[in-house]
Amino acid sequence: MGLVESGKMPKPMTKLLNLSRKYSLWMYQWGLACCGIEMGAALASPRYDMMRLGVIPFPASPRQADLIVVSGTITDKMAPSVRRLYEQMPDPKYVISMGSCTNCGGPYWDSYSVTKGLDQIIPVDVYIPGCPPRPEALLDAIAMLQAQIIDEDPAERWKGEPLVVS
Amino acid sequence: MSRLSSADSRATSEEIPATEAADTEEAIEVDEAREDLLADLRAELGDALVDTHIDPGREVWARVSLESWVAAGTFARDGLACHFFDFLSAIDWMPSPFGRDMNSQEDLIVDGAPDSAAQAPGGAAADEQATGYAGGDTRFQLLARVHAPSRGLGLILKADLGDDPDLLRAATWVPVYAGAAWHEREAWEMFGIDFEGHPNLIHLYLPGEFEGHPLRKDFPLLSRRVKPWPGIVDVEPMPGEDEATVDTSEADANEDATEAAAE
Repeated sequence: MGLVESGKMPKPMTKLLNLSRKYSLWMYQWGLACCGIEMGAALASPRYDMMRLGVIPFPASPRQADLIVVSGTITDKMAPSVRRLYEQMPDPKYVISMGSCTNCGGPYWDSYSVTKGLDQIIPVDVYIPGCPPRPEALLDAIAMLQAQIIDEDPAERWKGEPLVVS
Repeated sequence: MSRLSSADSRATSEEIPATEAADTEEAIEVDEAREDLLADLRAELGDALVDTHIDPGREVWARVSLESWVAAGTFARDGLACHFFDFLSAIDWMPSPFGRDMNSQEDLIVDGAPDSAAQAPGGAAADEQATGYAGGDTRFQLLARVHAPSRGLGLILKADLGDDPDLLRAATWVPVYAGAAWHEREAWEMFGIDFEGHPNLIHLYLPGEFEGHPLRKDFPLLSRRVKPWPGIVDVEPMPGEDEATVDTSEADANEDATEAAAE
């Protein structure tokens, strides 16, 4: 286990581990508004069947998740909860921002209560434009994220506390 | 669906001549069920019932004095069989002090640019203050709708709250209709109305540290004040629309947006 401590490992191992990480993304769903319906269509319907891409959308808590998809309007009241759930995720963690509201506030950009973009509170890896995006757009975002994961060094993604294995 | 009382709907109903309304087949001249309901309310409240309005076959409005707000609610529940509480909210009738500078660039293209006097912040935008059905004397009005399922009738109750934004007070309806509790919490945070006797007057929708009352007309949309509406750059012509005209108006809008951003 010492080999993968905080994501540091020899090069060949990295490639192998990235390959397995790429195809077993545990995805936590944050459907905050109407984009969540499209996300549900991408996950649960046989037409799109996201699990064939290796995405497993059923972690019981953010502590078991590799990836979150935030879809929907984030209000200023909700923002602290979004941030807190993100902080509970183990490294390395990935964020997909789905839909105009999550990207920048969308049609509610001038509201007194809406956060103007998910990237104001947590870092985002892939943005999906659309109001709402079609489920295929979410599949495309997953494919883009997988292309990013296969080439990266997990140690560079390690933001939080080092993992100590005794 | 019943029409809500608003300045627009009132203006529309006044514009239709009475003869024209009588010609339409479904027009009901006298709505006896609603007249009876108002008669009962008038017998109970007396002078506290300030003004009424009936839209035959649709809805009935009753404006009561603020002192008899709870009495009116209690009588609506016990005497008029209005057992279903629909909603409670408030209205700020003041014309926007910002004139039309809150309008989007899209609105400016559709309606034309406002004249400079109305555009100046705090300047005399000077539309008449509307009051809606059953009238009103003050800037703020409380309104609630209750429904009598057994009679198939609804009743909209209104009360004048006053003009001073710092002194908005009303007695709570929670002992009468328990469901009013959350509605009053919303009206409290959105308009700053203090509901005396409410058991738990805390924020419902807004974060705890939020300052201001967003549904008041003098609450500025800060985002829109610092940035013109950006969506106009994405406007596409509708099918069949003349693309040349749309292109020029789009170019104008972009120039406007650039000028506004430069200012």
